[in-house]
Parts: sequence; structure tokens; C-alpha cells
Amino acid sequence: MRARGHGAARRWAAVGVLIAALLALPAVIRTLPASDADVPAAELRARALASESLGFSGYAVSAGSLALPITDQLSSVADLFSDRTTMRVWWRGATDNRVDVVTPAGETGTHTGSGATWTWEYESATATRAAANPLELPAPPDLLPSSLGRRLLSEASADELSRLGARRVAGRDALGLRLSPAAEAASVSRVDVWVDAETGLPLQVEVVEKGAARAAMDTRFLDLDLAVPAPEVTAFTPPPSARIREGREAEVVLEAGRRIRPVELPAELAGLPRRRLDGVPSGIGLYGSGVTLLAVAPVPHGLANGLRSALSQSPDAVVDELGTRVAAGPVALMVVEPPNRGPYVLTGTVTLDALAAAATQLPDLVGGP
Amino acid sequence: MIVVELRKMFRRPRTWATIGVLNALPVLVALLLVLTDLAPRAGEGPPFLSAVLRNGALYPLAALAIVLPLFLPIAVAVVAGDSIAGEAQAGTLRYLLARPAGRTRLLVAKLVAVLAFVVVTVVVVAGVGYVLGSTLFDAQPVGGTSVSGTSLTSAELTGRTVLAIGYVAVSMLGVAAFALFFSTLTDSPLGATMGALAVLVASSLLFTLDAASPIAPYLPTRYWLAFVDLFRDPIQWRDITRGLALQGVYVGVLLAAAWANFTTKDVTS
Repeated sequence: MRARGHGAARRWAAVGVLIAALLALPAVIRTLPASDADVPAAELRARALASESLGFSGYAVSAGSLALPITDQLSSVADLFSDRTTMRVWWRGATDNRVDVVTPAGETGTHTGSGATWTWEYESATATRAAANPLELPAPPDLLPSSLGRRLLSEASADELSRLGARRVAGRDALGLRLSPAAEAASVSRVDVWVDAETGLPLQVEVVEKGAARAAMDTRFLDLDLAVPAPEVTAFTPPPSARIREGREAEVVLEAGRRIRPVELPAELAGLPRRRLDGVPSGIGLYGSGVTLLAVAPVPHGLANGLRSALSQSPDAVVDELGTRVAAGPVALMVVEPPNRGPYVLTGTVTLDALAAAATQLPDLVGGP
Repeated sequence: MIVVELRKMFRRPRTWATIGVLNALPVLVALLLVLTDLAPRAGEGPPFLSAVLRNGALYPLAALAIVLPLFLPIAVAVVAGDSIAGEAQAGTLRYLLARPAGRTRLLVAKLVAVLAFVVVTVVVVAGVGYVLGSTLFDAQPVGGTSVSGTSLTSAELTGRTVLAIGYVAVSMLGVAAFALFFSTLTDSPLGATMGALAVLVASSLLFTLDAASPIAPYLPTRYWLAFVDLFRDPIQWRDITRGLALQGVYVGVLLAAAWANFTTKDVTS
């Protein structure tokens, strides 16, 4: 009986050691040290911006916690920033790439070529062709760490940048680069971009709002292969059984922009200077730079009423004589409607205080110039 | 001993009754689809089911997807949970162990019999699905469309379907290992089956919770649906290899625990 007891103890001890080793394995892999390199912040930014033509393929995941209070027509945009999005990417260049959003039972693939984009939706067996347009709604390819990292770093000034250490991302050494916006109106506290030490490709991007400890948006590669993918992988020919249609979303946005009533907007709002971007309708005012941006648009009463109703349902909504405003993470929205005047919508990566200050500076408003 | 256990398994009427009942749901779903011509809307229902009205060649996959979340694991848990505990409850376990073969060999023989049941069950479900798909729906003899929108030849579709059948079978091994381990702990087959099902229900529940995302990659049901990745173009091997490795780990650990328990257990019945 004693011999059997010893045998049982030895057997269970062996099983215990096996389980402990398996449980410890992920933690051991995670703690593998990353090798840092003495690269100045400005140089690391330059290397990241120069990585657009680098060919690669990979698997990336973005996780957002921005519950944007917007209408049903833009639910796909809201989902991008509030959900977990899993993507496969094959990148041969800015005008030759493919990004598939993968779901458990389907996928939506975006094939970007020179001049046009094909979007394939498996669930509805639909292939949509859209011409390239300077003004586009946010799409899954914009959430790739490589694309988002370059976009956020593109307008950063040298005094906003600092170096972090290094970490392992997608099995590669990544050098940390921190962007801390200088503008007082900024709602973003910092953007941490982890850049591949060898190629300069951004591998992970974390966006943290002021006063928050956790990232409002975190996108990272989980797998990365630096071989240039074959052209037939990024090309797309609609299958015979597919329904083909033309994409009109960009035209809808442009048409809405053309219908905006002409208003002379000030040269500066909330301390942010006005700027011009290609493709943006002239009725929309854009202010700021880098990751601190503010957009102002005079809108029809119907749109303003719907948006105000959506905003006021948020428990964090602020309603006062200036209007209704709410922040969803670092993104703030406000509907301003003075008596007997047309309404405005203000939105951007600015604080609620900055939105309130901007509202008082708009033309035709009580208290404005 | 393995041959004896296999023979015992497949000579039992209840084994075939279980497989038959398991196929009832895909048959019912196929008949309803044909009679009503109402497939689930895109993105809803089990994978591939919304596409079977366009291509019946996908019905074997839809049939597997229909039984995969619940009915297939129940069937596997019932059979594996019965393997040791059923002998103990019937009072035949001590007679089996009186043979000179030893407990480890008996455990291996029971495991092989359960594995054979899993493979046969999955193949039969896929086979019934093929017959239903090719007789009730319009099957496309030239192949089909991948999830990524590229065209697949008939040979590619067949090859990937065979791989999917194999993957689903492997995905069930973790269930079998849980039930087999619990079967060595108790003399009640029902208790062993319910224990394995409790693990699966807990795993499925945790998988839906964002708060459980740090442990999600280790949940036994995490990669069950990854067989869909075989129909993307290029094939997405990431979750498939992880699913195979995870099942391997569960089977290895649970069999080791079953062996540690069973080889030193006092058998009185």
C-alpha cells in the first residue's frame, strides 16, 4: 500500500511539473528581453515615415474603446474605433496592398490598386469598386499599426517627440517613440509608437487620452513577414457569382460637404490655427495639426437634431447654454445651435473645454466675435 | 486489447444510435432550407450555411458547423465519459484489469476507441452532408468561391474539405480527453460526461467575455471555428496551428493526469 502511495505521488508530481512548465511557457516567452538601440527620436520618426514603400505581410489586431455617439449610417466607422478588429495584410506599397478584416465565419477584403479600390464582402458575396478620392471615411486599412503610426507621426514636431525603451512586438525588436502633443487643447496625452529596429516599420501604436491610464486605441502586429508579397495576392478579380456594385460613400460625403451653408469661419479656434487639406469641402473648417485636430461644420437642422439626441443620451453629456457636448475617449463632439441661427457640429481630438472655447468664437453665436 | 475495444465500441447499437441522432439536425436543417428556400442572412447562423443555396458542395462544412458547438461535443463526451466509468459502474472494470495487459494499456486502448469514434462520427456527418448537399441543393461541379473571393477548383475545395474534417476531429480530442480523465475519477459515466460538458460550457462562456481575453488563447473551444480559415485564400494557418497545438496540450496533460490517477487507483468494482 505504501509503495502504491509513493508511486501515485511520483506520477502526480510528474503531471504537476508538466502543467507548471506549460503554464510558465507563455510568461517566459513574454519576458524575453528586447535589444534597444541608440537611435534619436527624430531619426526614428524619419525612419518610420520612410517605411511606406516597404513590402511585408502580417497579421494585426486593433482594439478601440471609443464609443462614438454617431448615427446608424456610420455604424461601420463607429465599430472600427470601439471593437476589436482582426486584420491580415499584404503590402507591396501605398497603391498596391490588400487588407482583410477577418471574422470567425467570414471576411471583408480591401484590395487597393492605383486609382481604384475593390472591397469584397464574403457574407453578401458583393464586390464593390470605388475610385480613389482625397476625402475618404476611415476604413480598416487605416488602423494598421504601420499606416496609423506614420499618419500620427507625420506632423509631429521635434520637441513633441521622445524616446522610450524597447519591447518585443510580433517577435521582433521594436524601439519606442513617444509623441506628447504640445497644444493645450489636445485631448491626447501621448501616442506611443513602437518601430521595428531593423526596418523602421511601425509595429504597434497606443493612443492614450489625458487622465487615462489605459490606451483608448491599441493596434499591433502579432505576426510579420518582411518578404514582399506576390502581386497576385493583392490583385482582385470578382468571382463569377459575385454581385458587383460601384462604391458611392465618398461621393455622398462630398455631396454633403457641397450642401453645407457658406459661413466665414475664423482663422483660429481654441488656440488652433486653421488649415487646408485637399478634398475637404470649403464649408468645413479644419484646425490644428498632428494628433490635435478640430473640425467645424455648419449643418442642417435635421442632422443637428439627430446628433444632439444621440449625444444627450450619453451619461457623460454636458448640456449648457453653449450646446451639447460629449467626449468618447480622446474624441469630442459638440452640437451648437444658437437661437434663430443655423447649427454647427464641432468634433476632434480636443478637450471638452477646448470645444466650449471654440463654440464661443464661432460667428453668429451669442458671445462670439 | 485495442482491437477488442474497437470491436466493442462499434458493435454497440448505442454508438450508431448516437451517430444517427447527431445527423438528425443537419438533415432537418437541409430539408427546411429546401422547403422554404430561406437561408440565414449573410453573417448569421453557422459558417457556410448562408452559402449552401448557392453551392451545395459546401453543405458538408455547414453540417459540421451545425453540430460543432453542442451536439458533437455532447456525443464525444458521452462516449468518452463512459469508457472507464461505464466499466466500473457495470462491475466489469476489475475483470478487465485482471488480464495481464495492465492499466496503462487499457487506458490507451480506451483512448484509441474514443479517437476512432470521433473520426467516424465526423466523417459520417460530413458524408451525410455531402449526400444532402449534392441531392437537395445546386452543387457547383467546377468548384466554388473562397471566403476571400477567389475561385477554388473542385479539387481544391475537396482537399480543403478533407483538411477541415480532420481539423474538426482533432478539435474534439480535447473534449474526449476531459471526459476520459473524469471517467477515471468517478464510477458514474454521467458524472464524467457532465464534467466534460461543464468545462466546455465554461470555455464557451468565457470566450464571449472581453474581461477573459487574456486567457482566451488557452480555452479549449477557442480555435474550434478555425476550420473556416482553410477556405480563405491564402489559407490562414495561424489559428489552425494554434488549435492543433492547444488540443495536443490538453490531450497530453489530461491523459497524463488520467494515467497518474488510474494506474494507482483502488478498483473495487
